[in-house]
This record gives sequence, structure tokens and C-alpha cells, in this order.
Amino acid sequence: MAAIEELSPASGPVSTRPPEDEIDDDEDEDLDETLMERLWGLTEMFPDSVRSAAEVSAQCSVSMLKKFYSFSRSALWVGTTSFMILVLPVVFETERLQLEQQQLQQQRQILLGPNTAVSGGMPGMMPPAPGKM
Amino acid sequence: MGGVLAASPPPPAAGSSASPGLTVPPGFGMPSVSTVVPPAESPLPNPGAFDECHRRCKEVFPLQMEGVRVVVNKGLSNHFQVNHSVLLSTTGDSSYRFGATFVGSKQTGPAEFFPVMVGDMDNSGSLNAQIIHQVTSRVRSKLAFQTQQQKFVNWQGDAEFRGEDFTATVTLGNPDVLAGSGIVVAHYLQSVTPALALGGELVYHRRPGEEGSVTSLVGRYTGSNYVATVTLGSAGAHASYYHKANDQLQVGVEFEASARMQDTSVSFGYQLDVPKANLVFKGSVDSNWVVGATLEKKLLPLPLSLLLCSFLNHQKNKVQCGFGITVG
Repeated sequence: MAAIEELSPASGPVSTRPPEDEIDDDEDEDLDETLMERLWGLTEMFPDSVRSAAEVSAQCSVSMLKKFYSFSRSALWVGTTSFMILVLPVVFETERLQLEQQQLQQQRQILLGPNTAVSGGMPGMMPPAPGKM
Repeated sequence: MGGVLAASPPPPAAGSSASPGLTVPPGFGMPSVSTVVPPAESPLPNPGAFDECHRRCKEVFPLQMEGVRVVVNKGLSNHFQVNHSVLLSTTGDSSYRFGATFVGSKQTGPAEFFPVMVGDMDNSGSLNAQIIHQVTSRVRSKLAFQTQQQKFVNWQGDAEFRGEDFTATVTLGNPDVLAGSGIVVAHYLQSVTPALALGGELVYHRRPGEEGSVTSLVGRYTGSNYVATVTLGSAGAHASYYHKANDQLQVGVEFEASARMQDTSVSFGYQLDVPKANLVFKGSVDSNWVVGATLEKKLLPLPLSLLLCSFLNHQKNKVQCGFGITVG
């Protein structure tokens, strides 16, 4: 019968506050809980339906963001390489052609005077050669 | 089994009448099918060869090639042309081919001369040969042989009869009397209205112990600047649409469904001609995630032609590039 000790009213004032080192132990036990766990504990005040809805929407949005990110990566790659193959050579060639035509026009302008630079100006108009007397 | 070779004659016949130096290499640039629509009172026009139905749309698409290819064409006379081609391949074996084309002197049209004999031989001894001849004014016949080193792989003969408003062709492929095997293909194409042509194809193949036949129907509608063709058969369906947007741009859309392989594919192709820059650009996008383009540029004033080609398969992430130079 030594397991349970009965306190008789005659045993004097029983200290209800634990001694100093026990206080430290208790606070240490409290400090073992991290900040995240304490914040998480705060969420327990919301009802279950609100908690589950928030969890589901958070997971959905994270996974959708990941999918969107990987989709935009592959779409950008596919778009860029297809553009390179399908459109770029033609663009280069037509620009080169335009530059050549511009250069020809400029040369014609320099050679024959400013009025003949109009497209369709006759290229065969040479200034009259000095004739022999 | 070896497929039926294209029935249309190669174009050296078109080049030989123009100049002593033949400049058109065999196999490039098929003669165009005339789709002129006559007035309603005149009789229906001949619809052309059966194999040409899908040809116009297919010509818009780029051809896939890989490796380096150098082709030298030399015309020796009005009737004879020789070509050497070296192919350095990245995936297979490199090879050298020697080809010769002979064009006879019987003239049937503005640029068609018969008989036409085309042959080429590989460095390993494989031979391809074709003989096309206009037997009578309405009947044209062709014999084709193909060997793999010294073994005959393909031998076929066909006869095409062009009536007033219909074309009938019979082709006999790989006939082997001793083994009792062979393939017989019969084509018939009829002009129903000046714009619409309907026809059918019957393929009968026979091997010892097995025989079968495949039929298909073909319809082709020609508009002012478009051609729509549909082929429906027991082996699948094939529809193609060709549209000429303007002088520079031609567009083709093709849909293929195969019953044997249980798959369908759609491809979109375009061809851009810039004659001022001596440029022909062909591009295509496929439903199998394949993107490809071909650029062909004439490097004047030399008789050189440069061909750049690249195909990209997005699904398998593989690229195939090739370039070629044609001299002469």
C-alpha cells in the first residue's frame, strides 16, 4: 500500500508551485514545440470543413502552378524551334533581297541622278557620250 | 511487297526539247497536271493519270533527306543525259549512284518525247530501270525493274489507256508464273463533270496458298484555285486539299487514316516561291509532332542549286538535317 500516498489535512501547507528547476523543465518542455507547430496549432480553431477546403485548394493551386510552369517551358521550346525551322530562313532571305534591291536603287540614284531613283526608272538611260567631232 | 512505282514519266522529256544541254535531273519536278476547265458545251476533258490525283498536294510538302548529297548532271546530247550522285549518309551507308537517261525522238506533245529510258546503278550493284513508251496514240506503257545487288526485287509492267474522258490503267507487278504469285492493279478514272472526276482502284495479290484483294474509290474536285481529293478504301482513307493562295504561296492539307495500323495523321504543308531571290521554301507541320522544312536556292550565275533540309521530331526530340548541292 505504499503506491498511493494520502495527504492528510494535518500534513501542513503543501506547496502547489513546483520548485524552480521544475519550472525550467516545464518551460523547456514548452520550448520543444517549434514555432511552426505552434502556428499550426492555431489553425485548429477553424472547423474541419474550412480546414479541408483550404488544404485542397492549396494543393490544387500548387500542382497547377507546377504543371503550368512545365507546360510553358516545353511550349516555349517547341515554339522557338519550330519558328526557327519554319519561318526564319524565309525571313532572312527576304530581308537580304530587300537590302540588295535597296542597294541597287541607291547605286542607280548615285549614278543617274536623284530623279531616276523611282522604281521603274529606266536603267538603260546613260548620259550622252562625248561625240567625236 | 514492293509498291507500285509512280506512273508518271520523268521530266527529262520536258527538258530535252529546250536545249542541247539537258538541265532537268530525273526525278525532280513532275510535269504539272493541267486542270483547265473547258466550257460546258465541249466534251469532258481527260482526267489525267490515276496516280496524279494526290500528287499536287504532295508536291507542296518537303522531302526528308539526311546527310550530304552532291549531284552532277551532264547533258551529252539532245537525247542523252548522265548524272552522278554521291550521298554521304549519317544513318546508313554512303553510296555513289550513276544514272543515265535516254529520250527518243517520237514526239507526242509539246514537251513529251518517247521512248524514255531511265536507269541508275548503285556502287553495290543495285539497279533501277524504267522504260516508258507511247505504243499507240492512246496507249502508254511502262516497264520497271529494281534489283538489290544482283537479286531482282521488283519487276512490273503497266499499260495506260487514255480515252476521251476516262483513263484506265492495268499494272502487273512481280508476276511469277512458276510460283503462281503476283499483283494485279487496275485503275479507272472518269470525268463526270468538267470539275469532278471519280474513279476506283482494285488491287489483287496472290501468293501460293493466299490471295486477297483491296478496293478503293477516288473522287477529285477541281475548283478555280484548289483541288480536293478523297480516297476511300478498305485499307484506309486519304483526303487531301491543295490551295493556291497567290503566285507565291501554295498550301496543302492532308489527312490519312490507315485501317491496318489503326492510326490517323494530319499534316499541313506550304510552299513559298520567291523567284526574285531564286528561292523555293517548303515547310510542313504534322500531327505526329514533326516539323520540317526544305530550302532550295539557285546560286546564279553558276548552274548550282543548294538544298537545305531539316526535320525535327518534338516527341522523340530528334533532328535530321541534310544538305545537297546540284550541279548542272
